[in-house]
Amino acid sequence: MIVDAGGLALPIAMLAAAYGAAGSLLGGWRRVPVLVLSARYGLYTVPILLTLSTAALVYAFVTHDFSVRYVAENSNLAMPAAYTWVAFYAGNAGSLLFIAFVFSIISVVAVRGLASGLKHTAPFSTGLIALVLAFFLGIITFLANPLERLSFTPPDGQGINPLLVHFGMFIHPPMQMAGLISVALPFSIAMGALLAGRGGRDEWVDIGRTWGMISWLILTIGLLLGSWWAYTILGWGGYWAWDPVENSALMPWLAMTAFVHSIMVQKRRGMFRMWNIVLVAVAFTLAEMGMFINRGGPVPSVHSFAQSTMGWLFLAFMGVTLLGSLAAFAWRMDTLRSREVLDSMLSRESAFLAQNVLFLVVAFATLWGTIYPVFTEAAQDVVITVGQPYFDRVNGPLLLVIVLLMGVGPLLPWRRASWRRVLKAIRVPLVVAAATMAVVAVAGVHRPVALVAIGVVALAVAGILHEWARGAKSRHAKGESYPVAFARLLGGNRPRYGGYVVHLAISMLAVGAIGSSFYEVQRDFVMEPGDTETLGGYTFEYLGFGRSEHPDRSEVVARFSASSGGSDLGPMEARRSFYHDFRMSSTRAAIRSTPLEDFYIVPSEFGENGRAVFRVYVNPLVWWMWAAGPLFVLGTLLALSPRRERAAAALRIPQAARLARA
Amino acid sequence: MRPSICTLRYLFRLDETNPAARRGGSRTAPTRWAEPVLNSYTLRASISWLALAVIVVAAAACSATDEVPDLERRAQQINKSVMCPVCPGESIDQSQHPLAVQMRSAVDEKLGEGWSDGQVREFFVERYGPVVLMEPPAEGVHLAAWIVPPLGTILAIAALYVVIRLMARPRSRPAAADEMTGAERDEYVARVEAALEGDGPKGREDAG
Repeated sequence: MIVDAGGLALPIAMLAAAYGAAGSLLGGWRRVPVLVLSARYGLYTVPILLTLSTAALVYAFVTHDFSVRYVAENSNLAMPAAYTWVAFYAGNAGSLLFIAFVFSIISVVAVRGLASGLKHTAPFSTGLIALVLAFFLGIITFLANPLERLSFTPPDGQGINPLLVHFGMFIHPPMQMAGLISVALPFSIAMGALLAGRGGRDEWVDIGRTWGMISWLILTIGLLLGSWWAYTILGWGGYWAWDPVENSALMPWLAMTAFVHSIMVQKRRGMFRMWNIVLVAVAFTLAEMGMFINRGGPVPSVHSFAQSTMGWLFLAFMGVTLLGSLAAFAWRMDTLRSREVLDSMLSRESAFLAQNVLFLVVAFATLWGTIYPVFTEAAQDVVITVGQPYFDRVNGPLLLVIVLLMGVGPLLPWRRASWRRVLKAIRVPLVVAAATMAVVAVAGVHRPVALVAIGVVALAVAGILHEWARGAKSRHAKGESYPVAFARLLGGNRPRYGGYVVHLAISMLAVGAIGSSFYEVQRDFVMEPGDTETLGGYTFEYLGFGRSEHPDRSEVVARFSASSGGSDLGPMEARRSFYHDFRMSSTRAAIRSTPLEDFYIVPSEFGENGRAVFRVYVNPLVWWMWAAGPLFVLGTLLALSPRRERAAAALRIPQAARLARA
Repeated sequence: MRPSICTLRYLFRLDETNPAARRGGSRTAPTRWAEPVLNSYTLRASISWLALAVIVVAAAACSATDEVPDLERRAQQINKSVMCPVCPGESIDQSQHPLAVQMRSAVDEKLGEGWSDGQVREFFVERYGPVVLMEPPAEGVHLAAWIVPPLGTILAIAALYVVIRLMARPRSRPAAADEMTGAERDEYVARVEAALEGDGPKGREDAG
């Protein structure tokens, strides 16, 4: 009953979204406020209807209603109810419903903000948002209905993909999907302003930036959690494999990173209007490509769990977005001219532009490597692999240059800088970087690449900390205690200091990447119970293993006791499970993590009499990558938090005075 | 022998069994002892930075790369560059598939017999085709895979340069009434800076 009601809600939701799109766009174009209003209210019904469908699918899962095809394909009687959450998006149809549901909710929040803030552009932006929603609901209704019934009721379902049974999978896929679709919001906001012919007024910039950063943050969390999941469960000691689906999630992130920077220039200086619209259109196109590659894309990947034959639809959607954006851009380009000019080659504006270009270049190189095999196969019928070593080599240097720019760029003033001033600003960070490199070199880091990378990261971090110290000290000199001075410093200019916090997080990622890519140690050990081995200062004893049978899997748990430098690390357990129904195994590494390094044991094979092969890693500095996660959230929230009165008052300083200060 | 600096690692190690380290005290210590000696925050910042650098050093210098026998390290390098033919996207180093396990032992065996790295890779290419290598060969038509990204980078940077030059050139900018001469401007800057003295730290000169 409830399942049928939920099924019925889907086509209605699709019609409501389609009406929202048509009514908004038409009403905006012909200037019919009543139509615009009614279309908006039509859109508001979509999340309500989708709540019903979502509840219906959850209900079907919890009650094991295997007459629903999707439930039969993605769960079974043995599945605990808690995994309904995962099973919901484990297949194509369910993940589409998930995307549509989440998108409908954040859309309503965004549309409400738009309607009250941007009277003239809101109808167009709302129309585009509704259009995206209608596209998804159309696919769900006609091609991938998760509530579709089977003609018979199987006694049991096929079960859930075991690789998804992990805490990371509770958050990573939904975050990733929500992140990709949420790029549609800044895209629609910018495009709506363009269509309305008001792109030159910069009024969309604040709300566009807000949603751009929210979307960026969701994508960031999705990527980090995905890496963390790969690191702890895939059992290969790594966290990023440059797999096509990883790449397709990274590319929109890169474009969004460029966007959230470059939008600041428009916010502050009224420049880069055309460029920002191009950037956000590129980001959304890349996000659609991410969905396309994940759903029946042409490139083989370990992520193909939501595989389906509807990839071409997403490809078409992507094409329409690209061509539509181009057409709108060409039509409205004259409204985007800016009277502002760059005052100097050497300024923060130029640094932002350089940053944008570098991010797009990395995105382009990644795209090139990802689709190159498709080209060669089509052109010459030769299958070629473009894997991790390629991307490490091609993107590594570019990413390093980006970190360097991250260190120097924020120290440049707006408008105009002189080389003398720049040198003055980066003198201390440069000294610190040089000293760091010297110490590190003396201590035994001799690989030139690692040395340079460490220097660059040191420069970036020293630049940030130096500015914080300078600011806090200057406030302290006026009588504030250090903690208060520091807090007020950060609170005084939130976009700037929030950005610094995020830059620190990026530096931590870089530290982790440098440590683990240049100094990872890996060995395979064949051990029998009672054997003791050492690696990298860690001594570990293999105590033996136990087998256990579960309804869905058989599991082997190997136990160790490990110590390092005389201190006991306590018991460690590494697991390997085999899922009969899927004929698939999954591992859970035993990890002892410290800021210095991770000690990591993965079981490879179990033989007779407890004999087993273990792969053991000592991974330096990986801890910093996961520790960076909370900083990303914190920094982004700080950058997004509204200004206080005092900061707003600073805006009233006459233009000339601001000019003089710059 | 590993360098003596490795002993430092235990200073910085934060594990459950070391309560002093758990409080994170040791990491901030260098700053604290530096305080009475050095009152320039610049120097202090540098020193706390050195402390962090030492962590990196300790990690790097102490990583046990020299504990891994040469042959094994070469085998790992090869394993990471050869794809497992039945598990797309995964190298034989990553994959637990029986075929990958078999290929790994083939690598060990060939290296033991004195084959060069190139010969071992060639061996797999002959059997499975070029698809078995994790990166396209840098020769012939596949040079394109390697050349396009750097070429794109150079073109993008050139375009960036041209665009910045064009944007930086004032296009028939009208001489606005509020435009000041150099001397006027300097004087004005001085006045504004003086007025802003009470407003906040100097570091805010480019704030906003």
